[in-house]
Amino acid sequence: MSSAPLPSGPGSGPIPARAGIGLRFAHHRAVLDGRPGAAWFEVHAENYMGGGEAIRILDSVRRDYPVSLHGIGLSLGSAEGINALHLLRVKALAERVQPGLISEHLSWSASGGTYLADLLPLPMTEEALDIVCRNIDIAQSALGQRILIENPSSYLRFRHSILPEWEFLAAVAARTGCGILCDVNNIFVSASNHGWDALAYLDALPAGAIGEFHLAGHTARELEDGRVLRIDDHGSAVAEPVWELYEAALARFGARPTLIEWDNRIPEFAVLMGEAARAQTLLDRAEGARHADAA
Amino acid sequence: MPTLREVQAAFARGIAFADEDEALGMIEADGIGAAGRLSVYRNTYRSTLVAALRQVYPAVERLVGAEFFEGAALPYVAGEPPGSAYLNEYGGGFAGFLAEFAPAAALPYLADVARLEWAASQAANAPDAPALDPVALARLDAAEQAEASLRPHPSVRLIALAYPAERIWRAVRERDDAALAALDPRPDPHWLLVQRRDDGLGMRTLARAEGDFTAQLFLGVRLGEALERFPGAEFPALLAEHLACGRFAAPEESSR
Repeated sequence: MSSAPLPSGPGSGPIPARAGIGLRFAHHRAVLDGRPGAAWFEVHAENYMGGGEAIRILDSVRRDYPVSLHGIGLSLGSAEGINALHLLRVKALAERVQPGLISEHLSWSASGGTYLADLLPLPMTEEALDIVCRNIDIAQSALGQRILIENPSSYLRFRHSILPEWEFLAAVAARTGCGILCDVNNIFVSASNHGWDALAYLDALPAGAIGEFHLAGHTARELEDGRVLRIDDHGSAVAEPVWELYEAALARFGARPTLIEWDNRIPEFAVLMGEAARAQTLLDRAEGARHADAA
Repeated sequence: MPTLREVQAAFARGIAFADEDEALGMIEADGIGAAGRLSVYRNTYRSTLVAALRQVYPAVERLVGAEFFEGAALPYVAGEPPGSAYLNEYGGGFAGFLAEFAPAAALPYLADVARLEWAASQAANAPDAPALDPVALARLDAAEQAEASLRPHPSVRLIALAYPAERIWRAVRERDDAALAALDPRPDPHWLLVQRRDDGLGMRTLARAEGDFTAQLFLGVRLGEALERFPGAEFPALLAEHLACGRFAAPEESSR
């Protein structure tokens, strides 16, 4: 196991502890033409693996803004190992973009050569922990840098799970040296779906490993028996209780790069800037409180 | 206790292949039934892949309507799941599927429109690569030129079509209902060369012999041999056009 800290991306500007925006194709034009005052952008690695226009646009964005690469397809939880071709594509993209951060998920998406197009939950077992850590070691060593691992939203748990998800995630960070991408909306969604205490989840995470926050919208789906299942669909504004949980996370961990994600029913770019401004206000307040404590 | 490999194989069957019994037995029911919980993932799987196909095949969708499109896409997805998370590579078999899809039999040109859209998507997403410099080829002496074997540029696709798919595609894209109504969708076998250029997609219709000749070049048949097989004056001119338009890839660094 590699426990020594890995260097961050060679030659890249770090991602500031400010509010950034998840860049989607629908906003390429608005960003290229308007050069908005966003602090940084995050993109899905899988959207820029080809040639042509998309990667040229990303090159152009990268010249003016810090960029974080967020992967959705490495399937770090796969028992059969990581798809080597996919890892090489991420590596080639990272070499070109020189991102300030690379992140992926505590989940799996592929089995037997079939890609299941979602971030599937893992059984919380010692065996799965070993496998995830091995795959993260491989990814970090191939990419030559530390990556951040994001807690997923989930809609089911396994009968044979023995560890709480927060302990599993903390153990992954301790064993691989990876950082944690704390998705506040995902904690809220999963806690609501499984009856967990979201604040206890935050308390269990190692503050030093937290490298980024994600904020996004979700939907509450009412089932026939009146029970509610929350679905992490990134199709609306950040919900009020998620903002409250974010404040609690800032109070525990301090300011970290914070991303606004919106992937479905995508609004005008200005709406995302508004969400980022709200996050920035909370980040500034957290910094202010920290300085007041120190004084 | 199932191993992780067993869990993942069971879930893949439950999500992609509608064989869910084993996966359901592994899920904590807890208020909401196991089937309801698993179906969240199956729905995401299906809707993500149908959306990926919509992205590649917008003209097909406009020709048949959203509902019909989904009715074709879902059985296609069930039969041909994706192999990787790089979904730009997903959906290449959809034209072949549509050609055999009985409800689409009244639209015999539909599969050709899909072939065109796949070629366009592949060209648009192809890796960047330097084009063969025509001057470098011109510097070779005649014997060396005859021996040269070329490769197509990654952003070029050559497809054989039975119907006037490009005219249909343009009319659909431009929402030109008059042009669409005036089209004569009778068989008209030809080739279409699709190329990503800096200003967008280029399309070049090739008559059958021109397409056959181009296909030979793209397969790496030596220039001398290809020109011998196609003796007309139009073929050296077509070769010159391909070279001038950057339709061949520069040799790999290592073989220079």
